Amino acid sequence: MTALAKKLPADWWKNALVWAGVIAVPIVAFGLFLQTQGVNAIQTYGTMISSTLGTSYGIGEVVVKSTPLVLIAVATAVSAKAGLVNVGGEGQFAIGALAAAAAGMLLLQDVPGIIGIPCMALAGIAGGMLWSGVAGVLKVKANMNETITTLILNYIAVQVVSYFVYGPLKDPDSFNWPQTARISSQLRLPSLGGGRVSIGIFFAVGLAVILWLVLKKTKWGYKLRVIGGNPIAAAQAGYHVAKNQLIAMLVSGGLAGFAGMLEICGVEYQMRQTTGTNYGYLGFLAAWMAWNNPLLGIVTAFIIGFLSVAGNTMEITSGLPSSSIRILMSIVLLAILWKGRRKKA
Amino acid sequence: MINILTYLFSGAVQSGTSVLYGVYGEILSERVGVINLGLEGSMVMGAFGAYAATAQTGSPLLGVLAGMLLGGLLALIHAYLVIARKANQLATGLTLMFLGLGITAFFGRGYVSASIGGGLSAIKIPLLSDIPVIGGLFEQDILTYLSYLLGPALWFLLFKTRFGMLLRGTGESEEVVYAYGLNPKRMRYIGVVMGGMLAGLGGAQLSIAYTKTWIEGMTNGRGVIAVALVILATWQPLKAYIGAYIFGGAQSLQLVLQQQGYDVSPFLLLMLPYLLTLIALFIVSRRKRQVMPAELKKIVESSVSS
Repeated sequence: MTALAKKLPADWWKNALVWAGVIAVPIVAFGLFLQTQGVNAIQTYGTMISSTLGTSYGIGEVVVKSTPLVLIAVATAVSAKAGLVNVGGEGQFAIGALAAAAAGMLLLQDVPGIIGIPCMALAGIAGGMLWSGVAGVLKVKANMNETITTLILNYIAVQVVSYFVYGPLKDPDSFNWPQTARISSQLRLPSLGGGRVSIGIFFAVGLAVILWLVLKKTKWGYKLRVIGGNPIAAAQAGYHVAKNQLIAMLVSGGLAGFAGMLEICGVEYQMRQTTGTNYGYLGFLAAWMAWNNPLLGIVTAFIIGFLSVAGNTMEITSGLPSSSIRILMSIVLLAILWKGRRKKA
Repeated sequence: MINILTYLFSGAVQSGTSVLYGVYGEILSERVGVINLGLEGSMVMGAFGAYAATAQTGSPLLGVLAGMLLGGLLALIHAYLVIARKANQLATGLTLMFLGLGITAFFGRGYVSASIGGGLSAIKIPLLSDIPVIGGLFEQDILTYLSYLLGPALWFLLFKTRFGMLLRGTGESEEVVYAYGLNPKRMRYIGVVMGGMLAGLGGAQLSIAYTKTWIEGMTNGRGVIAVALVILATWQPLKAYIGAYIFGGAQSLQLVLQQQGYDVSPFLLLMLPYLLTLIALFIVSRRKRQVMPAELKKIVESSVSS
């Protein structure tokens, strides 16, 4: 505690005040906006909180929503440490989920869970790695900007998923809904207390902690940080910049793909066309808000997860479309961007 | 066969024009050293603004102006945050993309079934529109004609005028701009906001001229694609056409193949424009990229840490 106090600059409370303002101003502004739309803002905010954090079901939903965001935030952070901006969590998640679902329904239907679930995890990780690997190879071999390629790959992934859920993998009993058949029950992750929350959250948080340690304490983590800080100097110091950037990209995609597998095994039990829509972007923003620190990323992912769930309840209780929460989320983020990163003391 | 080609070319232009405006816009933005991923947001704001204003007033001209205004407004936020507040360009752009999609989804609910009458209808240019095969290029809406002319116009602006030289100077070396007694920050604002206005125009073409509908998220990555295609155009307005029409052509091909009754999955075809963009970028990547504006290079190379 004393060590922490020593680290804090003398005017820390001023900073805290500014940050409180940064969060409060957009919330107030959005409230005023709601008023102009004929919606009682205070009541709406009240229901947003009481319906999410006030009931065990609501808290469960926040955890369900946050699980993939935590992993994608960590994924984004790993690549960021190596100096890469991976905005492809969206596509890597989708392909990972698709691969896991395909493996589950085609190959592992009758395999006991203890073998089947790890196999699905491998499929998910491989799917995510495939998608990030394309961008990684294009980056290190052809010097193509990974921000652009990962974004484009997201749009391609959407069509790949659509192709499979409307075509080869469509559940014949689905009455034409674009979705695969459900995976058999032994392949589903155990739930916590019988609700919608699965043990997936432990994997997500556990991996966030592990990756934080890896990035902070291991030689490889150090290497990545040097490469991310100054690739030219790193190359002169004898580091294999291209190789390590590619590995970082693969780890990043693997994490996002694993998040996709957790969504299939823990939440949806099948792949739908809309499985995981926007998770990639939300996870990226969570990572960015956490300055690419995996531990802080857990917190920011939960904040964004909370806002997403609150947005859905808003649609039900006040008749506002769920897109309104996207507006609130973006203006909060804009306020944070406005404030900028505090200089390290 | 001739008919199909005519249809293909004309479709490529119709579908590619919105992207073309996006490429023009991003060229201006990147020429002053700012990457604007929020272009997607500007474009969707433009598409919505144009549609809503046309539906409300019955005037497509006011629609176009509204689209430009909204597109420029979103870009102004980007400009302020990255120039005055030195915020991370990629994160800011992404957030603005999100904001644009959110705002238009919110206000767009009421306009999904609204009528805009004929919108911007096609104008036939005598003689030129009678040419076989490519005649269809001269039976387009006014915004498409404007986009034909904008390439040379922007080239002239950037390379033949003092103002354009200063714009480029802002992206290459700020000192030059200071030497002329001008404020590079102001030039940056101008470039970014003009870029957003052009993207808004592209959105307007998409909603009130090409599709004549408003659908939530209808830009579907066109703004992002435009950002990518700037690399293919090597930051040259005169080369902006190439990528935009490759993208539009792939879209058009998909429609043609479907109409001809070929049994190809629509999803594989819908993938084609994005895939072709990626391949095109791969091909140019083999060339050295010395053409990138110097200030931009700094941003690209430090985008994570800043």
